[in-house]
Amino acid sequence: MTSYFIRRLLLVIPTFLGITLVVFTITRLVPGGPIERIIAQARQMNMSEGNTSGGSSLQDDSPLSPDQIEELKKFYGFDKPILISYLDWLGKILVLDLGVSTRYYDPVWEIIKDKLPVSAYYGIVTTILTYLVCIPLGVLKAIKHKSFIDSTSSIIVLIGYALPGFIVAIILFVWPAAQWDWFPLGGFISEDFEDLTLAEQIWDVIHHSVLPLIAYMIGGFATMTFLMKNTLMDHLASDYIRTAIAKGLSFRSAVFKHAFRNSLIPLATHFGNNISLFLAGSFLIEKVFNIDGLGLLGFESLVERDYPIVLGVLVITSILGLLGNILSDFCVALVDPRVKFD
Amino acid sequence: MRLDPLTLKKIRRFRSIKRGYYSWLLFGLMLLLAFFAELWINNRALLVYYEGQIYFPTYGTMMPGNTFGLEYAYETNYRDLQKKFQQEAGDNFVIMPLVPYNAFEMDLRETEFPPFPPSWKDRHYLGTDTIGRDMVARLVYGFRICIIFSLLLLVVTFAIGIALGCLMGYWGGKFDLFFQRLIEIWSSVPFLYIIMIIASIVVPSLTILVLIYVVFGWMGMTWYMRTTTYKEKARDYVMAAKALGASNTRIIFHHILPNAVSLIVTFVPFSVAGGISGLTALDYLGFGLPPPTPSWGELLQQGTNNLHAVWIVASTVTALVVVMVSITFIGEAVREGFDPKLHSTFE
Repeated sequence: MTSYFIRRLLLVIPTFLGITLVVFTITRLVPGGPIERIIAQARQMNMSEGNTSGGSSLQDDSPLSPDQIEELKKFYGFDKPILISYLDWLGKILVLDLGVSTRYYDPVWEIIKDKLPVSAYYGIVTTILTYLVCIPLGVLKAIKHKSFIDSTSSIIVLIGYALPGFIVAIILFVWPAAQWDWFPLGGFISEDFEDLTLAEQIWDVIHHSVLPLIAYMIGGFATMTFLMKNTLMDHLASDYIRTAIAKGLSFRSAVFKHAFRNSLIPLATHFGNNISLFLAGSFLIEKVFNIDGLGLLGFESLVERDYPIVLGVLVITSILGLLGNILSDFCVALVDPRVKFD
Repeated sequence: MRLDPLTLKKIRRFRSIKRGYYSWLLFGLMLLLAFFAELWINNRALLVYYEGQIYFPTYGTMMPGNTFGLEYAYETNYRDLQKKFQQEAGDNFVIMPLVPYNAFEMDLRETEFPPFPPSWKDRHYLGTDTIGRDMVARLVYGFRICIIFSLLLLVVTFAIGIALGCLMGYWGGKFDLFFQRLIEIWSSVPFLYIIMIIASIVVPSLTILVLIYVVFGWMGMTWYMRTTTYKEKARDYVMAAKALGASNTRIIFHHILPNAVSLIVTFVPFSVAGGISGLTALDYLGFGLPPPTPSWGELLQQGTNNLHAVWIVASTVTALVVVMVSITFIGEAVREGFDPKLHSTFE
């Protein structure tokens, strides 16, 4: 077992290299990187100053001399072949140096660190709430199979499953937040957050996060609930439950002492996957609600071609995703002693 | 086509699930309406009766204005023509479609600025978007593009997935191992990022978008097909076929594939839903099909930025909810019908 997990951990390395190499290559191959942006900025400055000097900027297409461009290329590491600069970048990653943002000129790690708490908050709360709601609901649906409660909740859960999270986010943003004014219009905290008392601060965060949390949760909801329901029903129909009841155990304790515990095993396989959601979140939902988290940061950096940040976010999310997969296996091994990896 | 009794039974089971079956009828109707959208949402007339002759301008080349005694040689404005004929009160008449606008023209007025709210009188049944294009037209034509995108994507990913997955499962060994690692790496690449990077350099056309989506989306089906083939291969009937001297091709095409495909059918509706939400998300972010292509994502973007014109986001969201929910209900019924999991309940 230990050797299995060690092997899995070692396999993370080539996968991680593969992912980053693919994205790194693409970011290097596409035009519109930081150098192009600096050239464009310089040209704009020339244009605004150049009203008096006439067509000087028109004669010379590039406002920077070739030497300056070479210097810039050297500064951003664009003067070397892709593979070499990838290795350079990788070497820095190993000492936890994610580089410097080409937009803000701040260290990438500092920028990411600022956003982490917001994303982690949403990730953790979403996970906890999903388990808290789905497990009881699944149990209820299994016990009351084909009853009124079962079929109505099925419809509701299925509708939630049908809608992509960002559509739910838009619905929640437009009506409860914008039209009816029940909730604040996006953001993570109010502007006067610093001046509030602790109780008000807590209320403020909750008030801001109700709608995004619903949008986050709604996707995973159906999978979890039905997984819980179906496995529990399989167990309820199995012989050991029949035996337990035949020997005089009440139905209630048969369900909760035996069937329920066994039914949690498949849910455990999903647990690790939540890790990546913890932090990466969904940038679509973050964009709708204007939550300043990691997802939105990655998206904005991508739009602005701030590739060090894009790659930094990628490094963190992909490592977490890969570790999450292993964690899933580990959880399964933890709750189910029959499982043996080799 | 002759269906074997097993398939017939599956179809019967599907039809017996009312929620899914009625969703399927509704969705089929929407598809039909969308594919013949020109007949009921168009700025061209359905029928023009002019000087004893009947014209059908809907399909075919455009008819210049002077065909109908107007002074210009560009395409006839049939709405004005209709008003003109009505004023003249002669025998001539124009029958306009239900919604007399197409998805691209802007309804410009001298006194007001768009977006215009829904109005029965102007025949903007759901109002207009921020630059005065009819919402019904944008929604229906956008739906049509979305569906074409999803179906193309479906066909290509399933073709790749079935072929590759089947080979991986059947051959196993190094071939399998190589693609396993590739799939693991490939599916960890954040594919929306990649699409957005690529879409920001090339102006994406429908084909390019489908291609990008295929490049980063073939893994799911392949993986599923691999597992299925793997399982089927180990079963006795395959061994029996082999013992009878069946070739590999025969085993794959006559024995394994038919068994696997009946399971794959259950993925079709969800794959279509995935295509729709994927394209809508991309358009919403502004990385999808270039304007002025009608698209739901673009309408959502407009709607969330113009909350005073709430009809834009309201009708788009309603359309999305209806479509997605009906597809999910269809999907649920298809799964129930084709791959039933019968629960023995505890008595």
